[in-house]
Amino acid sequence: MKRSMATALGLAAAASLVLAGCGSSSGDGDDDATSPATAAATEAQDPVTLSLAGWSLATTPEFQELADAFHAENPNITVELKEYDAANYDTQMIADLAAGSAPDVYVLKNLKNFYTYQSGGQLVDVSDVSEGLGDEVSGLKAYEVDGATFGVPYRQDSWYLYYNKDLFDAAGVEYPDGSWTWDDYADAAEKLTPALAATGAKGTYQHSWQSTVQGFALAQTKGASLLEDDFGYLEPYYDRALKLQTDGAQESLGTVTTNKLTYQAQFGTQKAAMMPMGSWYVATLIAQQASGDAQKFAWGIAPAPQFDSSTTGTSKTPITFGDPTGLGINPAADDDTIAAAKKFLAFAASEDGAKGLAGIGITPAYVSDAVSEAYFGVAGVPTDDLSKFAFSTHDTKPENPVNKNTAAIQNILNETHTGILSGSTDVAGGISSAESRVKSEVAP
Amino acid sequence: MVTTTPIAPAAPPVVRRGRLKLRNTLLGWTFLLPNFVGFAVLTLVPVVALFYLAFTGWNVFGKAPWVGLDNFQRMLHDPTFWVSLRNTLYYTAFHIPLTLVTSLGLALLLNRKLRGVAFFRTAAFFPYITSIVAIAVVWNMLFSPEYGPINQFLLRLGVDNPPGWTSSATWAMPAVIIVGTWREMGYYMLLFLAGLQTIPPELYEAARVDGANAWQRFWSVTLPSLRPTTFFVTVMLTIGSFKVFDLILVMTNGGPGQSTLVLSQLVYRKGFEENQFGYASAIAVVLFLICVGVTVVQFVVNKRRDR
Repeated sequence: MKRSMATALGLAAAASLVLAGCGSSSGDGDDDATSPATAAATEAQDPVTLSLAGWSLATTPEFQELADAFHAENPNITVELKEYDAANYDTQMIADLAAGSAPDVYVLKNLKNFYTYQSGGQLVDVSDVSEGLGDEVSGLKAYEVDGATFGVPYRQDSWYLYYNKDLFDAAGVEYPDGSWTWDDYADAAEKLTPALAATGAKGTYQHSWQSTVQGFALAQTKGASLLEDDFGYLEPYYDRALKLQTDGAQESLGTVTTNKLTYQAQFGTQKAAMMPMGSWYVATLIAQQASGDAQKFAWGIAPAPQFDSSTTGTSKTPITFGDPTGLGINPAADDDTIAAAKKFLAFAASEDGAKGLAGIGITPAYVSDAVSEAYFGVAGVPTDDLSKFAFSTHDTKPENPVNKNTAAIQNILNETHTGILSGSTDVAGGISSAESRVKSEVAP
Repeated sequence: MVTTTPIAPAAPPVVRRGRLKLRNTLLGWTFLLPNFVGFAVLTLVPVVALFYLAFTGWNVFGKAPWVGLDNFQRMLHDPTFWVSLRNTLYYTAFHIPLTLVTSLGLALLLNRKLRGVAFFRTAAFFPYITSIVAIAVVWNMLFSPEYGPINQFLLRLGVDNPPGWTSSATWAMPAVIIVGTWREMGYYMLLFLAGLQTIPPELYEAARVDGANAWQRFWSVTLPSLRPTTFFVTVMLTIGSFKVFDLILVMTNGGPGQSTLVLSQLVYRKGFEENQFGYASAIAVVLFLICVGVTVVQFVVNKRRDR
């Protein structure tokens, strides 16, 4: 009796070993069992089920929105969501792709990692989809490699300047009017801070991310490039940020990191009168004001402050930055699934798809008057003229040009960012050390 | 007292003995398997793969092209590697003696018959079982340069220019070392306590009779008797210090600048953030060799002292 138990246990354990071994070796993905549909599908009319990757589904409704709207137009295609962890999305997706268990359509969450997927052969060429898309779709170019397109953007975030109208009124400072350069912005912050001293609010808030300085510098400075070892363009932007910090017009980086300040709380609970931040925060702020996580106050969005006056004013197109979020197709899917997936990509980048996304406060990649209308129809979105201008008119440059060295260079520049803003190094010294590090550490 | 019965009488038991052996082996393996499967799949295979990958240019997808010693050559010329090696040694050089001294001190203190000694032992052990993220958040707030209680206290004491702690490149590493020591001293204290309780009281009695004072008793009785424990603690501490990762990741993320970037975090960065798994594996191999090297030296020194 005992013996047979032991043998059975041993056998079971051995079997599980063998199974585990099999599991890890079937990485080719040709026998992909995750797409249950279409083994014998010959007609496109047969029902197809697409799997789509998403993250934090409970708080990120855009995937379900796209899936439902697409299914309504294409009743024979059902889109099922597969949830990933937002913070570890790319790590998990890379593991799933390598193991052959990734969904048919996956989101290219960060442009920074697009190169890894594309060069690794993990994206289907969707040039035929992109050819059918018009100029209204912004951010499409980011997914082009050697004339072919490997992803289609469905949302295109851009950075704006958020401002708290109540705090501006209390301080007696004029609202931004779209004509601001960074110097005007710094002046306003310096004026606001003493005027708001009684409330404890500061003039502005700059979150700890390197993007808050480097993203603007890269996008707005003529001839600036991330991929060449010349980062002199960062200097005026860091000088200004440092001055705001030492003058107390914004929290210092040390305070932000040691106290784990969140930008949602800083702006949402009126601790700062201004804040440069991405367009995703519009929907967040509205939701938090409704739920009570943020206080109720009047706010608006203005175009990002500009490098110089050549791009300021509502008659010009202000330059800002932001990466598109795109969809790509897993090459392990079978032909029918890929055909259905391409339809889905085309829909996500279409005006109909965009209207649905705008209706939940997302900034779609497709830009048109109808989309703007849907966006400003969302309850809580500021509808003053400048906010509308900021939403509809901007030249958004990518923060992360697609290149094999982008991730490595951004990591170096992030260390430069914390080094300079913590006062560990001066601006010029930090920049020149970043330049020499890129030369010596990053493969040419 | 010669009544011990022989275990194996005659012919049939010989067969049974063979069977018994097989059965015991099988049983042994069965008990081992659940643990071994997990170890093999999650640790052994990846570690073996690591040694292969260190000589390739693998970047997640596709083939892993053999590049020979390229990764190691690249490391020689990579200033970031040297910076993180230096930071790792910095952390190790201060963290080991500090933890050793504080945990031994705590153990000596709590080895007496004090009122509420169980409470203090638990309190000292508590940091070790607290979530590291919570520890990092709370300590970061304590260290906050402007509003943190630590600097407020230092100002009260008359320190005009208190350090910036985790927001300053000079003080970030000391701050991390302090938190690391605080967190781990309870665990090593427990090991020392166990060691202290194995020391026969007769030794102390004899020492007392010979007129040894407290210091002499500590130096000539406690420390030598504790040597096996001290050795074990030192080895564990060394390995733990060389591969310190989670604490630094959540407390400073290697910053400001590169001031707290350590080797294991560099491995993580190169591998999981930049997808250069070949290079990351090579750095991991070097880290492994350093750990092995230092541990071997410790064993040799310990052996020599044993003689």
